[in-house]
Amino acid sequence: MTTATAPMARSNTVLWIALAGLVVSAAFVLFSLATLGHAAFNTTSNGVQWGLPIVVYDFFLLTSTGLATIAALALLFDAADFAAIAKRCLWLAICGLVGGVTALFLELGYPLRSLWAIPLNLQTDSPLFWKVLFIVLYVVTLLMMVGRVSRPGWSGRSTRGLALVLLFAAVGVTMIAGSVFGMMAMRPFWFGGGIPIAFLIESALGGLAFALFFTYMAYGFRQDRLPSAVRELFTGRMPMVFASVIVLHVLFVGARVVAGLWSNADGLQVWHHVVSSPLFQFEIWLGLAAPLVLMLSPGLRTKGGVQIVAAALVMLALFIARYSFIIGGQLVPMFKGTWVHGLVQYRPSLAEWALLLLAIFVANVVNAVGEKRYDLSQGPAT
Amino acid sequence: MAKWGMVIDLDKCTGCQACTTACAMENNRLPGENWQDVIFYHQGTYPNVNLHWFPRPCMHCENPSCVDVCPTKATYKDPDGGFVLVDWNKCIGCKYCMIACPYGVRFYTDERSPIEPDIRKVFPGDGNRQWSPPYRAPDSRDDWRHGVGIQPHGVVSKCTFCYHKVSQAPKGVADLDEDNPETKEYTPGCVRVCAPKARYFGDLDNPASRVNRLIADKGGVRLKDHTGNKPQVYYLAGGATAAVPSTRETHNR
Repeated sequence: MTTATAPMARSNTVLWIALAGLVVSAAFVLFSLATLGHAAFNTTSNGVQWGLPIVVYDFFLLTSTGLATIAALALLFDAADFAAIAKRCLWLAICGLVGGVTALFLELGYPLRSLWAIPLNLQTDSPLFWKVLFIVLYVVTLLMMVGRVSRPGWSGRSTRGLALVLLFAAVGVTMIAGSVFGMMAMRPFWFGGGIPIAFLIESALGGLAFALFFTYMAYGFRQDRLPSAVRELFTGRMPMVFASVIVLHVLFVGARVVAGLWSNADGLQVWHHVVSSPLFQFEIWLGLAAPLVLMLSPGLRTKGGVQIVAAALVMLALFIARYSFIIGGQLVPMFKGTWVHGLVQYRPSLAEWALLLLAIFVANVVNAVGEKRYDLSQGPAT
Repeated sequence: MAKWGMVIDLDKCTGCQACTTACAMENNRLPGENWQDVIFYHQGTYPNVNLHWFPRPCMHCENPSCVDVCPTKATYKDPDGGFVLVDWNKCIGCKYCMIACPYGVRFYTDERSPIEPDIRKVFPGDGNRQWSPPYRAPDSRDDWRHGVGIQPHGVVSKCTFCYHKVSQAPKGVADLDEDNPETKEYTPGCVRVCAPKARYFGDLDNPASRVNRLIADKGGVRLKDHTGNKPQVYYLAGGATAAVPSTRETHNR
């Protein structure tokens, strides 16, 4: 069994900071919603209908499924090195899910109604129906899995069956989340059967980046404090796997950009706008190329500081990618004539940015609670 | 059972927006949130610029993508009449239908007013209604199951083809024409006020209806037919004015 002393004092600091942030951001968001309703968000019927709150929701959801996928794969295939971070990944998956669902519920017109109206009306044609169905399976399996790995002396063998179901649910949620956009033939920027696969890769990449970053965070961002099994992983296979998934993601982004810029199809003109934005350039060069170079460099890729920087850059790049994807698909107005000149203009409001902070702080509170209540560094019994 | 459809003759439409105004009055629309709109756009570059306009109600598609994506079946296709409607008692305000509509004809009122000043503050709503316009219809006409009335908070709304009128029409009637005293009251507001008579409304399943004859004789076309949504609104464009435009043509690149 591989265990290490949990950094309790640090988790207390994180908890208090996250709680303070949560109170402030929640107060701002709730006050904005109470006084302005959803007019607090800069979404409009004439343009962007799914704004930053949906970006936040999707980003957190995909991160969650990515983390769960890593844990499930490690336990399913007895990958001893990755199993060392499986418990933490499972808990972080819960954190991500809580953050994402918080953002979604504050965005929906009737969040409570959705709890009964979606499952009971059985609209099997809608990707959102299947997404909710899979999310229910995902949540149940995830909670069972966390319960299982919280038992003293848990082993990979005892979780294998559950890991298979969790993997199925996590991959299902991710691919259906991609289909929500990929099925929209009327929005060519989103349309295509490759989108669910792109989501799967982005989810895996996010899972790896978050696992790296938050494991280091639990140990004060110091590699020498990591448990030996985790250190072995981070100086062994982790950089290689991380680099490989970055490459896969870059290939998908590259293919989509080239096809989008080349095509003259109505709706794809938005690619010129996306590619020329500084955010996209940051995503490609600093968010993907730089971490890839760092992870490919033999002298650098095993260093703690380098890994933390690479993980943070990838996390930022993935958020930008999610933003560009979801907002970009709505920038070409649908028959609005002179009501909307050119591409739709959208900038998130203060309330929307506060909602992002709220999701981040909620997730960090849950993470800090997990750090205090459960021994997240505990690996399986060998 | 009828399958109601509309024919709009672009050669006759003058872009006067009477249809838009009538729709706003009939359906208590918030200014700027036009269930029925005439959109204006231009083609070409100076000095060869043409100004065009294009009337655009909800297409009430035969195969509506908005219905397929709605996770709660709040948006549905009424089998009796072929209307595409929103049940406000079921809508959760996820806006997926707005994303999936190729024609941009759906509205979420719970957002910033498209036109300032925000008239909702001048005529605030009572209870769950978004606002209370001075020209509002009687409460007894509210029918949330069919998306008729003043929109409540947190839901999506759209053109109903004036369901509250058309659904009361005598069974078996082929056309709803404002010039016919027997069908005048059942004719949608936008059709009834169209001064150049560019709009026709009738049963697409009735071979004897005027809308069917017009579609056949003048080569009626549907907007963005390639999406497979099969609109029940047809356009006639004989060449004297704008043809049915693509999305790209209706906004500047």
